[in-house]
Amino acid sequence: MNHAPAGHPILDPRLAPPFPQAVLPVLRNPQLRKNVAHAIDVIQSKRARLVAEKSDWQDLRTAASGLRVHVLENLAFYLEQFEANCTAAGGHVHWAADAAQARQIVLDLLRQQAANEVIKIKTMTSAEIQLNPFLEAAGVSVFETDLAEIILQLGEQEPSHIVVPALHVNRAQVREIFARRMGLPNLSDDPQELTNAARAYLRQKFLTIPTAIGGANFLIAETGGVAVVESEGNGRMCLTLPRTMITLAGIEKVLPSFQDLEVMLQVLARSATGERMNPYTSLWTGVTPNDGPQNFHVVLLDNGRSSILARPKHRQTLKCIRCAACMNSCPVYRQTGGHAYGSVYPGPIGAILTPQLMRMHYAQSLPYASSLCGACYEVCPVKINIPEVLLELRAEVTNQERGQARRFFDPMYLGLRVANLLFSRAWIFHTAQFFGRIGLRLFTRKDGWIHSLPSIGAKWTQTRDLRGLPNQTFHSWWAARQKEAK
Amino acid sequence: MRASLFITCYNDTLYPETGRAVVTLLERLGVQLDFHRGQTCCGQMHANTGFRAEAFSQAKRFVRLYQDTETVIVPSSSCVAMIRDQYPGLIEELGNDALRRQFQALLPRVFELSEFLIDRLKVEDVGAYFPHRVAYHASCHGLRALHLGDRPFRLLAKVRGLDLAPLPNLDRCCGFGGTFSVKNAEVSSAMLAVKLQDVVSTGAEYCTALDNSCLMHLGGAMHRQYAGMKTIHMAQILASTEDLPAEAAQ
Amino acid sequence: MTAPAPSRQQILDRIRKAAQPPQDGSSAYETLPRTYIRQGQLTPEARLALLIERLREYDAEVVESTPTALPAAIGTQLAASGKHSFVAPAGLPTEWLSPGFDWRIDNSLTTAQIEQAEGVLAAAACAVADSGTIVLHHSAAEGRRLLTLLPDWHLCILRASQVVETLPEYFARFHQSPALVTWISGPSATADIEMTRIKGVHGPRFLHIILVHDQS
Repeated sequence: MNHAPAGHPILDPRLAPPFPQAVLPVLRNPQLRKNVAHAIDVIQSKRARLVAEKSDWQDLRTAASGLRVHVLENLAFYLEQFEANCTAAGGHVHWAADAAQARQIVLDLLRQQAANEVIKIKTMTSAEIQLNPFLEAAGVSVFETDLAEIILQLGEQEPSHIVVPALHVNRAQVREIFARRMGLPNLSDDPQELTNAARAYLRQKFLTIPTAIGGANFLIAETGGVAVVESEGNGRMCLTLPRTMITLAGIEKVLPSFQDLEVMLQVLARSATGERMNPYTSLWTGVTPNDGPQNFHVVLLDNGRSSILARPKHRQTLKCIRCAACMNSCPVYRQTGGHAYGSVYPGPIGAILTPQLMRMHYAQSLPYASSLCGACYEVCPVKINIPEVLLELRAEVTNQERGQARRFFDPMYLGLRVANLLFSRAWIFHTAQFFGRIGLRLFTRKDGWIHSLPSIGAKWTQTRDLRGLPNQTFHSWWAARQKEAK
Repeated sequence: MRASLFITCYNDTLYPETGRAVVTLLERLGVQLDFHRGQTCCGQMHANTGFRAEAFSQAKRFVRLYQDTETVIVPSSSCVAMIRDQYPGLIEELGNDALRRQFQALLPRVFELSEFLIDRLKVEDVGAYFPHRVAYHASCHGLRALHLGDRPFRLLAKVRGLDLAPLPNLDRCCGFGGTFSVKNAEVSSAMLAVKLQDVVSTGAEYCTALDNSCLMHLGGAMHRQYAGMKTIHMAQILASTEDLPAEAAQ
Repeated sequence: MTAPAPSRQQILDRIRKAAQPPQDGSSAYETLPRTYIRQGQLTPEARLALLIERLREYDAEVVESTPTALPAAIGTQLAASGKHSFVAPAGLPTEWLSPGFDWRIDNSLTTAQIEQAEGVLAAAACAVADSGTIVLHHSAAEGRRLLTLLPDWHLCILRASQVVETLPEYFARFHQSPALVTWISGPSATADIEMTRIKGVHGPRFLHIILVHDQS
């Protein structure tokens, strides 16, 4: 399905290696780790500064969370309201149950227009449904117009972050890609010059390609309006120059009213890029004569979202507004970048969203790709309790394991089952401590420390020593002290 | 004042000196301590690794064991977080009204050590003496689940002779994460390397925390790398006096 | 050819079944918590000062003027730009169109004609001081969206009475959503290369604002 060159990250959860394996080449890549850590630290400090200056930040989070919960509890109502209003304003609304349907709807719309070229505004939803390779295979040339997406498209790379997808690429690497693919051998690595090169490269595309595909940050139910939040202006180009606009949006993107943007826009920009407001936000409603595309279509995508909606403890996953604050705050992501998650949605949100979109058939390693530190929950503008959902998903994965024969060969699984028995009675626990202490003496060196252990223990001792078990447990000491006192 | 010590499974087995320090400290402060011999584990390791079914019985045992106890003190933030954040859901699911009532009554009586000292005993100066440069590591559970805030700092500020070195990136996870340290050992180690850099950069002799779990991870790397630093649980610092200095730490 | 109708019903059925009990939306909406700041506390002068400060942080140029001095101020800005050909929406007051420049009024200009212009002069609907945001509703005096997008140089005429302090105040003022809205907070920028904010990817690289003191 995905004919990626060896070593090329695979962002298809059905094909990607499990997280503990996928991180290995990344952890051994100092340049990548440095690029990621630098980008993360910059966004984090910008965000922190702006949040600190916003005295009503927690109130905004409460409002944003409340709004999103309300929408999800009334999703059918708001989606129908959006559809009615968008249609009344001259738009066409389509419903796609899954990725395959969404792709086909888009292709059919393109064929109706005899379009064999499209310009695209970055949308993770299109990456989720693997739209680009599908369209290319059908003979449609897809031109990404976001700077990061061009870097990735020309460099034949995969996105590693949902807001700053090329965060793993530094300026020298961008220079190399542009010089080679845009035919600009004398290009320097100065970011301004690189940006100018992208601007020139795209100008002609904007002015000549009459069909655009993009996403939506918010769908406004009360008006049928669509809002797109961006920085560069390529969104504005795609929203005004072409004749046909196709907007792909997950069903959870809807907001009740225009006024609700007063909350969402305030939290989104600060969370995503550490700005009070991003450079350009556009809102349009259906079709406006003499201004912008006259042929406008919205494709509403389910693709697993309704099944997440059905589970009360998991539903909060859908509150997400794709700001990426969680991955910017995640100490795991900071070390691994996004590719290791094997999904277009990486980081903390990806760890809960991806397996659920896959109906828990794939990406079972992702809920474990977390130390449960809680930094993500702390920064999430819509208060998604990501650690809580991670724990629910871990329980589901473990329950899957309970039915699998290979559990008998899994030391971690067996160890935990045995530990449960040991903890069930104090005397069993104490007996285990006694024999454990004796057994571990085999591995304890003269200085009282263990340097190497077998089996799962080896995963500890590959980088850490372990102090040998003391001769007396606390409870034995206490018992002896009680006895002495008598 | 009377209180009961829940030592935690890993402290009982691996860090009995922390338990001994808690006893020394609290008895010095006039607390009459007892210890329920039937205690084993709070169930966190199982619950956090996905073995939720196994955690039910461990939660039930804890509640039954301490249902009549005035105050329970736990020298481990993560275990208290388990009891506060996850027990409600587990107990609810068990559907036993009597158990639920017992748990609701018990919950406000469970304290992490620094919470007990500051909030219950209302003491900051515990009469400690520990003449060393020390870096304090804020474990994630203490920071974000228990919102310990400045409690540890207030306690350390009153320890005579102690030179507290501020730790850069204080709120960044050390990478232990329970079974994460083994299931994702490489990432855990990468996070540990970054944390260790910050800790060692303080020039401190000791790194302390309210959780031996983080300290086991940090200390294990310090020992492996001859980092010239040691770890010590804060209970041992607070118990330390001129007459009875903290037991030789790792 | 749209997707077969069953998808729509299938999805809606799944959603309705998922969110139990079925809701109708509006009643709970009115009682959602909104304890965030709705109304700013700054005086009008401080508000304008804040807007100017935020705009300048984005490297937008701001000059102040009065209603009577406005046409001259426009002329000065145009002259200082070093540019000659400008586009303007059809609804602009004619006295704003300073003589001595090549004006193309947007009575169905082609894209190529707009692309050839060096700059654009247009009005605005509102501005939010807190974030330095100019808001366009693309009315007759503001021009269609393309007009303030393609040219590299954008001169925006903003009245002091159009300035609010906070974003919620904008939404309080415009409770009914216009069909088209563009919120502009600084010239286009990207931070996609090593997180360095670079101006001017697409959209005007040069944003100039004349703030007209139309309040006493």
